[in-house]
Amino acid sequence: MVADTEIADVRAIKRELAKARRRGWARFMRRLAAHGSFKIGFALFLMIVMLALCANFVAPYDPNKSDYRSILMPPSLDHWFGTDGFGRDIFSRVIHGTRVSLGIGLAVVVATGVLGIFFGLLAGYVRWLDNLLMRIMDGLMAFPGVLLAIALAAALGPSALNAVIALTITFTPRTARVVRSSVLVVRELPYVEAALAVGAGHGRIIFRYILANSLSPLIVQLTFVFAVSILAEAILSFLGVGPPPPAPSLGNIIAEGRNYLQDAGWIALFPGLAIAAAVLGLNLMGDGLRDVTDPRMRSEREAG
Amino acid sequence: MQRTFSRRKLFGALFGAVTIISVDVSVANAQTAGGNLIVAQSSNPPSLDAMVTTSQASRNITMNIYETLYGFSEDIRPIPILAEDVEISQDGLTYRFLLRQGVMFHNGKEMTAEDVKASLDRYKQHGGTGTMLEPVKSIEVTGDYEVTLTFDEPSPTFLEAFASPRAPAVIIPAEEAAKEPNEIEFIGTGPYKFVEYVPDSHVTLERFEDYTPNENFEGIDGFGGRKTAYLDTVTFRVIPEPGAAVAALETGEIQMLEQIPVPTARRLASNENIKLYENMPWAFLTFVFNMKEAPSDNPKFREAVQVALNNEEVMGIATEGLFQLYHGWMYEGSPYDAGDIGQEYYNIADSERAKQLLAEAGYNNEPFSILTDSNIPEHGKAAIVIAEQLQAVGINATVNQVDWPTALNIRLQDSGWNGWTLMMGIEPYLGPVALISTLTGDQPHFRATDDQLDQLYEELISTDSEEGRKEVFARIQQRLYEFFGVVKLGETGLMQATRANVEGFKPFRFPRVYDVWLAE
Repeated sequence: MVADTEIADVRAIKRELAKARRRGWARFMRRLAAHGSFKIGFALFLMIVMLALCANFVAPYDPNKSDYRSILMPPSLDHWFGTDGFGRDIFSRVIHGTRVSLGIGLAVVVATGVLGIFFGLLAGYVRWLDNLLMRIMDGLMAFPGVLLAIALAAALGPSALNAVIALTITFTPRTARVVRSSVLVVRELPYVEAALAVGAGHGRIIFRYILANSLSPLIVQLTFVFAVSILAEAILSFLGVGPPPPAPSLGNIIAEGRNYLQDAGWIALFPGLAIAAAVLGLNLMGDGLRDVTDPRMRSEREAG
Repeated sequence: MQRTFSRRKLFGALFGAVTIISVDVSVANAQTAGGNLIVAQSSNPPSLDAMVTTSQASRNITMNIYETLYGFSEDIRPIPILAEDVEISQDGLTYRFLLRQGVMFHNGKEMTAEDVKASLDRYKQHGGTGTMLEPVKSIEVTGDYEVTLTFDEPSPTFLEAFASPRAPAVIIPAEEAAKEPNEIEFIGTGPYKFVEYVPDSHVTLERFEDYTPNENFEGIDGFGGRKTAYLDTVTFRVIPEPGAAVAALETGEIQMLEQIPVPTARRLASNENIKLYENMPWAFLTFVFNMKEAPSDNPKFREAVQVALNNEEVMGIATEGLFQLYHGWMYEGSPYDAGDIGQEYYNIADSERAKQLLAEAGYNNEPFSILTDSNIPEHGKAAIVIAEQLQAVGINATVNQVDWPTALNIRLQDSGWNGWTLMMGIEPYLGPVALISTLTGDQPHFRATDDQLDQLYEELISTDSEEGRKEVFARIQQRLYEFFGVVKLGETGLMQATRANVEGFKPFRFPRVYDVWLAE
């Protein structure tokens, strides 16, 4: 029967497509694995994530346990990173602080990702909304990023959740913009027209054809949002509008160490290094992802 | 019968105004006139109109420019400074202040009774401690060098309150006293006169050549005594960042640092270019309850907190090691020290008893919010250690750290906070009346009034002998350890430093830059 062969053909095509997708995915992973700075970044970040996840097992002390008999001790075998003004172990605090900072960073990435996609798709796909939405985003972006986050966090009051909210509001316009610009390009491509022509619904077109093909710049953007969130969280905590003390966020530890820079520099040094390592790892990963997903840069690399 | 508060009247009468500068031979290095001293402090003086502000940053500077009629001696008793003496009528209703003669203002005019009356009238209107002159019915000029204050009813603690440096009742020229707060020319009678104030930068003073030393004394004594200005100029620089101030001291850019962090002081202890001074005791560190908000509205709960605390740990961390532990609500050995009362509740860290008291209080894990700020390091650190200790006995303690002005605002609310960490700097120094007045009346620190404490306060201010007041204060201390509205955590010190060539400096409630000189 004609119908049967047609169905068989469709199945065969689907299989081929799936295979091609798998091959594409495998090629993507291979390229990433071959990318030097991505590997370094990934290793660095993975190590930090593992430390943060296993904080309870790795940290030798309770990060909030003060001990007035051992305040401001320099780094030693007992306290690898020394102790702070409360006699708390800096190593334990940095590990737990990394967990707090990564947690906030991750929450911001998820929230800005979801909101960025939502507003980006809406603005890019629904033409009459574009101007309105993007002017609002422009308005938010008119404020220097961290300044807006500080103002929002100060208005909301110091807490981890409020820091996430403040940073999400600050970074969503940037993500939405990236999504929108990809959507504007993708929706004019022939396969979208083709999908429209065969009568695909808006939902199918948006999610299956447009979003799926707009994701790669977003993923790159999100790695930077992650890095910037960790930095911004540290800034908020340092200024006293992040998670309230005694929570050991990296910014809090640095803020506490600020008064001792000359007498006990280790307090601010180690959390500073932890922030630097996390941000460096994320940025290297982001660079790698960008290189691999950007066809123009890929062809330049391959040609070179 | 007339009571006299002049300590060295005879000495003054003998020597009169003949001797102008005395050379103290007991000091190894002879004083040398001249030189410029730079003092660093962390914040701007909000005002240099001394009588309208209670700020320490202002007092540090203004007490070198202005003088009061009476002030505290080194051992915290009222002594005459611009006054020669006071005669108090037997019924306690009239205070006749006799003024020192020939005292010159920085503008070259002589101080007379008119200036004193104008200054006190201005204090009554704009003074920082408004209640100080409240019991005074009238202020009258009764001679060229004589001012008489009359009262409706006897107020035996008046002279102590009047001598208070909190917002000092300084004497300024009558024409300045007619001006609004902060609009005066900064003219006083002190050993240094005002030159310029550049906010966020510095205040400069220079030696007042026509200063009239108080011949009734041999040397400086507390806020008074015979003062001698040796330095040509003194500059108070505002350096907010402690690290920057220390660096300036180490390089010799400044010669005196009003407060130096304790860990830094330890590091500099072996530095022979720097002298360190421990100003101890400087302040009480306290933990105030909100008695209107659950769970701290329950005295049993508050008692549980009191017995749960390990004060040594709180103080050790909050002050970085510069502290002393004492349960008393006046400094140990001071005139009103009430001895052992309350000692059995202090620094006992008894978690079993705390848990039992919590059970008796019916405590059911309600949040206990500790209000504190990030501006005064002792406050924030104490709060964090207290929270940790209370969590250990099963109290759901949280820390709400805000900035200092916000904390001052929140603590005036009846809800939204349970405990508040507070350093009391000047009040314990001034004595029981100043201290207990913060815990009584319309706006007591702990929100709700304690009737018994209020009654005891009334009794305190109306008792006319020091012995009697001592006895009342002992009952006040007893009462404080019965309803536990406030926990005394301990006493803090103030670490100060100068360059090694600064001679004659004696730590006090403000940096006295007179009788200080620079070695060759």
